[in-house]
Amino acid sequence: MTPALLRLLMMRLRGGFRQRLIQLTSLRGLLFFLAFGGIIWLLVVTNSTSADLGNLTDAALDRQALSAQISTFMPLGMLGMTLLTVALATGPTFHFSPAEINFLFAGPFRRRDLIIYKFSAYVAGVTLSCALITPFAQAQTGSVLSAFIASLLTLIFVQLNSAVIGMAGQALEGSRLARIRYPLIALLFVAAIATALYAWTAPDRSVFDLLSEFRHSWIGTIILLPYIVFSELFVAPSHFPHFPHLAIWATIAALINAALLAIVIVLDARTTDRALKENARQSDRWERIKQGGSFWATQRTELSSIRRAPILGGLGPIAWRQVTNAARNSFKVIVVFVGIAACVGPLASAVGVPVTDTRALTIIYVFFGFILPRTLVCDFRGDLSRMEIYKTLPIAPWRICAGQLVVPVLLTYVIALTMIVSILVFEDGVVTSVALILAAFALPVAVLIYAVENTIHLLFPTKLIPMGRADFEFLGRALVEFIAKAIVILAAVAASATMGLVTFTATRSSLVLPALVSWVTLTLIGLLTLIVLQYAFRRFAVAETVD
Amino acid sequence: MITVTNFSKQYRDFTAVKNLSFSIEPGQILGLVGPNGAGKTTTLRALCGIIPPTSGQLLIAGHDIVQAPIAAKQNIGYIPDDPRLFDTMTVWEHLAFTAAAYKLTDFEENAEALLLSFELTHKRDTLVHNLSRGMRQKVAIACAFLHDPKVILFDEPLTGLDPQGIRGIQQAILERAQAGAAIIISSHLLSLFENLCTHIMVLNLGECRRFGTMSDVLSEVGQTNNNSTLEEAYFTITQDNEKGEA
Repeated sequence: MTPALLRLLMMRLRGGFRQRLIQLTSLRGLLFFLAFGGIIWLLVVTNSTSADLGNLTDAALDRQALSAQISTFMPLGMLGMTLLTVALATGPTFHFSPAEINFLFAGPFRRRDLIIYKFSAYVAGVTLSCALITPFAQAQTGSVLSAFIASLLTLIFVQLNSAVIGMAGQALEGSRLARIRYPLIALLFVAAIATALYAWTAPDRSVFDLLSEFRHSWIGTIILLPYIVFSELFVAPSHFPHFPHLAIWATIAALINAALLAIVIVLDARTTDRALKENARQSDRWERIKQGGSFWATQRTELSSIRRAPILGGLGPIAWRQVTNAARNSFKVIVVFVGIAACVGPLASAVGVPVTDTRALTIIYVFFGFILPRTLVCDFRGDLSRMEIYKTLPIAPWRICAGQLVVPVLLTYVIALTMIVSILVFEDGVVTSVALILAAFALPVAVLIYAVENTIHLLFPTKLIPMGRADFEFLGRALVEFIAKAIVILAAVAASATMGLVTFTATRSSLVLPALVSWVTLTLIGLLTLIVLQYAFRRFAVAETVD
Repeated sequence: MITVTNFSKQYRDFTAVKNLSFSIEPGQILGLVGPNGAGKTTTLRALCGIIPPTSGQLLIAGHDIVQAPIAAKQNIGYIPDDPRLFDTMTVWEHLAFTAAAYKLTDFEENAEALLLSFELTHKRDTLVHNLSRGMRQKVAIACAFLHDPKVILFDEPLTGLDPQGIRGIQQAILERAQAGAAIIISSHLLSLFENLCTHIMVLNLGECRRFGTMSDVLSEVGQTNNNSTLEEAYFTITQDNEKGEA
């Protein structure tokens, strides 16, 4: 890398560091940073305390068992990620911003230098990420150093691996080899379905048993060889007499990464034009995201317009706007989520973990309470920069708020119903009456989730994407929001359950009336949050410019 | 049509607008002029109900924007300085959305005419995020005109427009005024005011420095002829006040 690029890198790192410091000078930034730091500290302390308190032999056995799982499943996971990259490979492999293209592409630099500059910038960012991961990985690897090295080399490998796959795809575009991509993906998909079906029908073998057998077979070992190196980094002993183990695996991993970087530089020369085009496309997407749009928005220029929007007393046009938003911005995401929901039943059955298990329930809650609302942004949160339009419309605020919630709530409900049907079909313990109750309660819970999410965003508006890596304010805010939302939802569910229990105690009849009272209570709480959302909408100050 | 009485807007310890009063009748075009931070955008945003006033009364076609916001907004067309349209919606869908929001049942003919007048007919099915800034400005204006508002508020209407676009918008503003709309234009382009406005208001530091017909304001500062006289008048008014403040 040339000294000028090195200097640019150092200045940008310093600028990023300065921005974080500026965040801390505001009260809000400081509070969110403290919240984030506090929660991380709590998690680390809980992690180490539970290990200290437990029987030493048990802890050692636990670690051994975990090491065995890492050795077996981490290479498989990395292979899966690679295949996913092959299937979905689009976009630039190393993204250059418009400013970088204007300054650096026109400057006296070789492409190779630019790639190394970009790679160095990535390594600098990933080093920071690894510093955050290390406290958690340390419990497994045994030392801070080994946890840090293992995380760093693995994350660099993931980036370079996907870059090589992407560039190879671009270099082969139009050739005969490229034509086998989709048949190959289809073949692998069929194999995965067949494996899952076999595991489901075979009572004594789960999917994990089959995957484990594949991993330890000779053919599995050959296919997974590059990935095994990185899983060994996490399980190699790092203390003194065994230290060379870690050093050997780290050296091999570094050599693999160096080889991949060399391949990237070679392939880059053959894909420069395509890389430029992809960079421009990627930059457009980021610009759209900054304005509240979606990363997955359609990139078509022309569409056949829908001639009329429904009025429905003012609620119609707002809901219609969000329908077009969801259909054109998030259609693929919705399909993926419906697919995931449909797989919950068979997956739980194949793994042998009932959905009533605490772990399964936690995952389902995180999915509906955090992942889904964060991904499916077709309400106020995506339209903060267009609030001027909503504020000038001759439509009552409660109708605007209801119109905003209709689409995400109904989409979430469809995903929830898919999951319920999937569980009903594949779980033995779930009967139709339970599924119906779940379906009835899913709707008010969905209203509650999105009303709270939107209220928080209108009261404390913020960007939807982090400001690069280690945006502590953003991370802290996300955690605080998640906790606040969980408290509101749990309180609402508790109030609803209490009302049901009181009714049951009073009537001592069938469960229908208590269930109905519970449902009505939850629905009323959902409607109450809509009133709070309306207050937040009215109070929302559109960019207080005072020109 | 527009009546503003003792309007003030306070942001914490900063006064954006202080005791502003004026009224605009149908057919009149008021030009709001002033340096950056004078309170022009705040006044327009308060008039169309985006931000609430701290005190005072703002009447639009006889409806108080705070007490009866829906009725007041039904009569307003607002064109912001940076039109943020809905990405993933086409030009026509913006018109359809506006029609539904203002409860217009037969809007197609009017919408087609607006597309034609703003040279957007061939962009009817284009997604707005693929349009240039000037085109997006035209879409915003077409949406604001669709429901035939009695009050039209423009914030820097000519930003990003090509010469044909500028002429087209000026023509459209005059036609709307002749049809009986009361119009307020906020801009830094003084030549725009000379071409269009019947009235002028000079704002500085949130206060009204001069308000009257164009000829009154010009004669007050001792200038009565036409080209670039408004510029002279503007600097005389704002600099006099700055000296006074000092």
